[in-house]
This record gives sequence, structure tokens and C-alpha cells, in this order.
Amino acid sequence: MPHSTPEQLALAALGEPLPDADAAHLAGCAQCSAEVAALRRPVDLLAVPELAGTATEVTPPPQVWTAIAAATGVSAAPPSSGAEVVPLRPRRSRTRWLTLAAAVLVGGVVGGAAVALTRDDDTGGAVVATAALDPLPAEDASGRAEVRDADGTRSLQVDLDAPSLPDGYYEVWLLQPDAIRMVPVGVVHRGDTVLPLPDGLDLGAYPVVDVSVEPMDGDPTHSGVSVARGSLQR
Amino acid sequence: MTAVSRPRPAAVPYVREVVREVVPVPAREPSDAEVARRFCAGDEQALAEAYERWAGQVHGLAVRAFGPGPDAEDVTQQTFVAAWTGRAGYSAAAGPLPAWLVGICRHKIADTWAKMARQRRSAEAAAADVRSRPDPTDTARVDDAVADRVLLLGELDRIGQPQRRIIELAFFADLTHTQIAARTGIPLGTVKSHIRRTLERLRDRLEVDGAALHP
Repeated sequence: MPHSTPEQLALAALGEPLPDADAAHLAGCAQCSAEVAALRRPVDLLAVPELAGTATEVTPPPQVWTAIAAATGVSAAPPSSGAEVVPLRPRRSRTRWLTLAAAVLVGGVVGGAAVALTRDDDTGGAVVATAALDPLPAEDASGRAEVRDADGTRSLQVDLDAPSLPDGYYEVWLLQPDAIRMVPVGVVHRGDTVLPLPDGLDLGAYPVVDVSVEPMDGDPTHSGVSVARGSLQR
Repeated sequence: MTAVSRPRPAAVPYVREVVREVVPVPAREPSDAEVARRFCAGDEQALAEAYERWAGQVHGLAVRAFGPGPDAEDVTQQTFVAAWTGRAGYSAAAGPLPAWLVGICRHKIADTWAKMARQRRSAEAAAADVRSRPDPTDTARVDDAVADRVLLLGELDRIGQPQRRIIELAFFADLTHTQIAARTGIPLGTVKSHIRRTLERLRDRLEVDGAALHP
């Protein structure tokens, strides 16, 4: 029988079964066998299970996106993990985005570690929820927030560690997880500030404590520049 | 910041609503093709959207290769960073964006194997006691395979369509040439001929530049 066609030898290298006549020829022909062996080398190297196209999907941990955002300078965030990135109304720059996902996740982790203990003290009533405030990417503000309840009147105590601002001020907000709706709580100074909370405000619906930098422009809306965030943990 | 930029009731300055809607929620989910188009155009939100849709697929490959942990996370991170910085190299005509991401991920997996092999080799070189080393022939063989894999993945990138898609279906989807013809609608004879030429090309690349034949 004549030699197998190059096409048949290539298929043999991929491990496909050959027609009987080709298979019989290949078994006895050193030249064809050598050709199959040479063509099989790339197959052996690439057609390995580790590179196969389908694998069970695995959601990467949040720090993977954080690292991608840092490496690319991208400030958007994926709308995953129940947190959504929503651009606030751009005021200073069209490209500033309010990034939520990473910060809420970090806040959740850190806040989870800072387990809220209900305790009374002399100043403002029982602590009913706390949030560790973690810096947003490229910011160096951090701190802690506590919700206190004194006979049904709630207040938010913010302990803020942040650089002093040459102009502008810090303001604290309570955000919904989607960062679309928010309640302004008030101006905060570096160090401790205690602010009253609106009666009837559902903290479960506004669980994210957000500290923003506000310019002195008379505009009461959120500037879109958040510097620290955390989720309230009860 | 000098002027109030939006209409606001002049008589009630600085009044805040207790709850304020800042921006309406976007109602429509963009299609995969739309995400890919915006990704190529450099829209940062499209990178986030692509990550949201396909990071699980990419990370699944990385975790299969390295198990969960920092190595897999690095591969996933590098895949998206490389895709973003190299987005000019993506062409919708060559296939969907997730397939392109998976191709980059294969590169990053092979690169990580190569890096691990180098680290292992230098660790062994640093070991003082020669007799305690593993069999050097085995080590060299593994290193060569790792380097050749990087070489071949690079060569695959240079293969045009539909040849590349055909060989990828054979390698990575484990399809027979008959199944590939059915999947792609390309005639059986053409599929066979593309497979042959591509395998010959890869073999030639190994014979010229492969590590295994040039110890």
C-alpha cells in the first residue's frame, strides 16, 4: 500500500482513529510513523487538560479586581458582589467615579473582624452598629464609625483619621449598597465628631458609611470624591 | 467652583432632600458584542463589565492549573491587565472577546509554569549538595516542555483564521475533525488540510526554536 496521506498522518497525530488500511500501513511503515511522532509533539505539548477550553467557573476573590484596577488605573468597578458602581453626578471632572464594590467588600471583611459589641457608656448611649472606614484606592483616610442609641435617639460618631484639607471639608453620608441613594449626615472633622441621625432612617437600607471631600462651592450634593468607606455591622 | 451649575429653587438655597437620587440606574444590559466594542474603544466601564462577565471563566482555568490561591489570582489579574493594555490587538472578526481572554489566560498559565521552572532550577542550583538534587535529566525535560509550550502558544497567535480556530477546537475542545467541520460549517476536506498545515507549522517551529532539541 502507498504511504498514508499527510492529512491522515496529521489526524493520527491528534489521536483520531484512522481507516483500517491506513492504520495497518502506519504500523509497518517507519517513515509514516516518524512523521506522526513529529506531528504529535505539538499536540502533546498543547492538548493538555490544564489548557483545555472549559473549566468550572470560579469567581476570583475581590483583591484580583483591586489589583487590576490599580495596574490599569481604571476607577470603574464591576457590578458584582451585590455592589454596584455608580457614577455620581460629575462635578469636578467627568471621569471621577464613585467606586463602591471593592470598598464595601473590604469594609465588610474588616467590619466583620470588628465585631460590634453592644455596650453602654456615659456619653451617647448603646453602640448598636459599627463600621471600620477603610480608604478608597489612592486615598489615605480611614477611621471608624459607631451608631449609638440613647433612649431611641440615634447618633453617628465618626472617628476620622485623614489629612487636613487646605480648602473644602469632609462630609459623612449613609449610602444604599447601590450608591444611588444616600442620606447626608453632616460635616465631620478630623478626630471625633458626633452627628444626629434622622429618626426613622432605616440603617438596614443605608448600611454604607461614606466620607467624602466636599469643596466650598455651595453645592450640597455629593462631590463624587469619596475617601473612606465601610459597612455598618450590627 | 463659582457658579451653581444646575437649576435650583433660588429661594431655598442649600436645602437637601433627605434622600436624593443622584443618577438613574442604567436600564439596559449591554450585549457581549457591545461590551467588546467599548472595551476596544478604551471604555473603562467596559473593562469592569468584561471582568464581571468573564472573570469566572478565566479564573476557573487559572484555578484548574494552579489551585486556588495567589498563583491563580496572579494569572487572572495578568490576563485582564494584558487584555486591557493590548486591546488594540483584539479583532471582533477573530472571535468573541471571552475566547480572546481565554487565549491570553493560556499564555499566562504557560508563562507561570515557565517562571516556576526557572525558580525551581535556580533553587536547585543554590542547593550545595549535588547528590541531593533530583534527577537532572527529568528536571531538564520538564523545563524544556514548559519552554516549548510558551513557544507554541506564541506561534498559535500568529496563525490566521480560520486555521487558528480549527486547531484550537482540536487542541482545547478535544473535537474530531468531523465535529470541527460540523461546528464551523467548514468543509471536511478543508478542515483536514488546515489541521495538517498547522501541525506541520508547529512542528517546524519546534524543530527550529524548540528547547527540547537544543539542550
